[in-house]
Amino acid sequence: MAFNFNWSPLTADASFYTRAQELLTTALNKSPKPPIIVDDILVNELNLGSVPPDLEILEIGDLAEDRFRGIFKMCYTGDAFLTLKTRVQANPLNTYLSTKPSFTSPQPLAASSGLTIPLQITLSEIKLSAFIILVFSRQKGLTLVFRNDPLESLKVSSTFDAIPFVREYLQKEIEGQLRTLLMDEVPVIIHRLSLRLWVPEYREREDEELARDLQDSFTTGEKPVDPLASPPQDPVDSSGNILDASQIASLSLDSGPDMHALFSQKNLLRLSALTDSHRTLSLFTPAIRDVVFRAWAGPTERGEMHGSSGRATPITPVMARSQSYTGNSSTTYVFSETGDAGQHPSRPGISSYVSAASGLGLGSNKHGKPHGGRKRKHRVVNLRKKATDGDDVESVSGESTTASGTMSSAPSEYGAELVTSERCDGELVTPPRTPEKPAVQKEPGDGTPLRFKNLTPRQPRRDDISESTPRPPQYTAPLPNSQSQSGTRTAKRPSLRPTDSPQATRYPIDNRPKLEASASSSAPLKQLSPSPMDESSSGGMMPQPWLTKMAGEIARKVQDQKAADSGFWDRNNEAQEEPPPAYGS
Amino acid sequence: MLGFMDYVQNAFYEASHWDRDNSYGTLNATSRNVLDFSTPEGLRFHVSSLSSPNFATSYTLGSIGLVDGSLSYLYSSLPLLGLAAKSSAIDLHHVVPGYRQLQDLRQPDEPWWWEIWHQGKRIDRRETLLYGRLFLPRSTLEALYLRRLSPKTQLKVSCVSDSRLPNGGTILAHLQHDAAKHSTEYIYSTDSALLGVRGLYNFGPDPPPTHPLFEASPDSTISTANEAAALATAQTHSQPHGRFSAGGEIYYGLLNKSGGISTGLRFATLPSHTGFPYTMTLTLNPLMGNLSSTYSVLASPLLTLSSRFDFNVYSYESELQVGTELWRRKEKPLTDDLNWARLKMGQKILDARSHDQNDMAGCLKARLDQRGSLGLLWEGRVKELLYSCGAMIDLRGGENMFRGFGVEIQYSS
Repeated sequence: MAFNFNWSPLTADASFYTRAQELLTTALNKSPKPPIIVDDILVNELNLGSVPPDLEILEIGDLAEDRFRGIFKMCYTGDAFLTLKTRVQANPLNTYLSTKPSFTSPQPLAASSGLTIPLQITLSEIKLSAFIILVFSRQKGLTLVFRNDPLESLKVSSTFDAIPFVREYLQKEIEGQLRTLLMDEVPVIIHRLSLRLWVPEYREREDEELARDLQDSFTTGEKPVDPLASPPQDPVDSSGNILDASQIASLSLDSGPDMHALFSQKNLLRLSALTDSHRTLSLFTPAIRDVVFRAWAGPTERGEMHGSSGRATPITPVMARSQSYTGNSSTTYVFSETGDAGQHPSRPGISSYVSAASGLGLGSNKHGKPHGGRKRKHRVVNLRKKATDGDDVESVSGESTTASGTMSSAPSEYGAELVTSERCDGELVTPPRTPEKPAVQKEPGDGTPLRFKNLTPRQPRRDDISESTPRPPQYTAPLPNSQSQSGTRTAKRPSLRPTDSPQATRYPIDNRPKLEASASSSAPLKQLSPSPMDESSSGGMMPQPWLTKMAGEIARKVQDQKAADSGFWDRNNEAQEEPPPAYGS
Repeated sequence: MLGFMDYVQNAFYEASHWDRDNSYGTLNATSRNVLDFSTPEGLRFHVSSLSSPNFATSYTLGSIGLVDGSLSYLYSSLPLLGLAAKSSAIDLHHVVPGYRQLQDLRQPDEPWWWEIWHQGKRIDRRETLLYGRLFLPRSTLEALYLRRLSPKTQLKVSCVSDSRLPNGGTILAHLQHDAAKHSTEYIYSTDSALLGVRGLYNFGPDPPPTHPLFEASPDSTISTANEAAALATAQTHSQPHGRFSAGGEIYYGLLNKSGGISTGLRFATLPSHTGFPYTMTLTLNPLMGNLSSTYSVLASPLLTLSSRFDFNVYSYESELQVGTELWRRKEKPLTDDLNWARLKMGQKILDARSHDQNDMAGCLKARLDQRGSLGLLWEGRVKELLYSCGAMIDLRGGENMFRGFGVEIQYSS
């Protein structure tokens, strides 16, 4: 697949050139210059020519509104040229001495006196051919890496072309410099630039612009690419490290620029302090407004996450979920809720995502308010494996659009867990989950009250939140049912089971979700000390309040997406029939 | 301000009768001292000691953003007995390089003067100086080996070991041959195999034969401008009042096939000159078309003025620098109030300097060039400490005029 560049409007824009020249000038003068260059390097002339580069998509690893990963092949044999002006030191002894320690310098009297010469260099006939790995995510900025040496050839002409020695020297030097520039400097510059754009101060202002730019730049490529046809199965970053599912899940958290405005840097800090205090048994709990704090997932949960992370596919964008479940269940799919992912304290860098999750939950709650409970129904996925008899496996999924409030909310809660549905080949991975199952399954009998006690938020919920959630009534009703009958859940929920998914799917952890929501929203109980039971069960526990809200938000987004682009999704479903090839890089 | 180790090293030159001024490399030392002084950066402490006449140590702790430091040790086979090592006793003129007053040429010692025989065997040694300095966080090692091979020659080998340098370090060998009337130097650097030759020829009459060592001892201290001025009044018999010298240097790097060349002329007054001392130099780099002329004058014992004009005949670039060095005396103790009594008795007032060499409180150096860059350096002594504080100011810099500021404090015992 290739891009069709609209090259001429870019080059026709006069202001583009002046801006590009300024950027290049600052970029060239930023890094320490070799001693032979004694003045600033000025970009005198820049022309991108009329021939666009040839860009070819080799692989799309991951694609969503807010992140992108792909490998491109780029060829360029255009007529672009660049003219630089600077002044160079013509005395070789001068440059030689300037790089040597003064202690062993021969300290010539005047033999090293300088002679600076203005120099004009024109770089033309640039031939590039490179494999580019492009990784974009809203949190981590844009990373662009050349896999090989991009520079094929280059013509350097300068003021000293008449002297062959100087010409050869310059040609050699500039080629070398340009190589290092492209291989080392350019990725760094681009990455820093993209990061700077997401610094909180710039974020709000830049975000929309950037999102627009991004969409513009990807519009050509996005259409033909079916994001769901290729959910990454072995997500890796550019250096080949396997990405944790939670990591990727956290990336998909913020799908809109408005989300970013919801939480501030201060709150992020507080939240990280919160997780830290939790990890260290500290009694100090920073106060965060409008937030109900829940214990993070226990060690078992964490182990699960990590155990499955290598194998499980990190969720692709939010909207992708409904398809995946409706389609063939053979798609390996991890539906890990963002809140869940962020909850991992074992992941050092991720504390901010925790906050992100919470902020998002709150924000989405507020946002979701006008929509009412109606909009939340499209909760997707659930491919769960019933572990009752070990062989009996089924997938449970919530209907996205048609399900009633209660129905949809229940699966969504499960969806909050990391659910791995294995491929049809029967390769079942049931890693660390097994031990905890008995405990979980025993609960249903008196599970409800127990959970009520254990899991009530320690901080009383804010009224506005509970009020703003229209769900509580809907949630509470089904909960006891599902909980109490969890042993026979498969039988009880035929409607949730997709007809075409007899495959081995398993859901890791079960039921606790709903109770939380109901408990917290309906009757905030005060100060129940966490019992050992709580500890054990909280292993699978999600921070319910924001999960439910998030689920609502996500569902809303899916709905919107669907409404906007139903044809697209339909097509996706078809594409889903054939599992895409695995990705590795 | 010179470091303590440089001070000791200069003392070694003096003690071994090596004339530092008779070299092409120091042709324009005066103008360099006044115009090219380096200003300290950040905060820096030196603690030094001449623990024995043969051994000196110095420790440096500095902070420019991050803390760094260095340890240095020096061994001299020649006992530096008369050296004032205490920072309260050091003559500021010896650590604040200023106007270099040329002394009358002196015939090198006869080799047999250096021979020491004991019970039929020669037991004299070549005087040697060893010096090492380790910079701590950077793990850079500097080493110097200095040896007086004969009364006319001196070998200087300096090395730097640093993992960041290509090949891990460089070695510079410097063989100097000083025959009073002319001096030649041969240089080899392992870095790109640089070879260099320098030569200097002094016009004028041959220096008078010197007396044997034991008679020439009184003036074996470091020469300074003030001493020179004092001596100038003392010497009366007909001597040349100035000296004209010409020299040149040529370098060639065997590996990078590049070289450099320069020639220079100097006229400087000698102590017998009756007016104020002055030095003029003209250097020319024919390859690069660079022409540089300097004029320095010791207007009074307390004031040096210097100027330099550079011109490049190829690029028509020119540069003008002016600088000054102004000394300040200590407040006189009350004993000098007796001058009026001496006057009444018809005695001459003794010059204060003649009986107290160490009466300088400090020295201000300033330089200014045509691009508006101003450098200021104030060096002096407070109690037992020598200090040096300097600033670089860019007069056209607008808001960020201060380009650098630093304080350096030295203590030695």
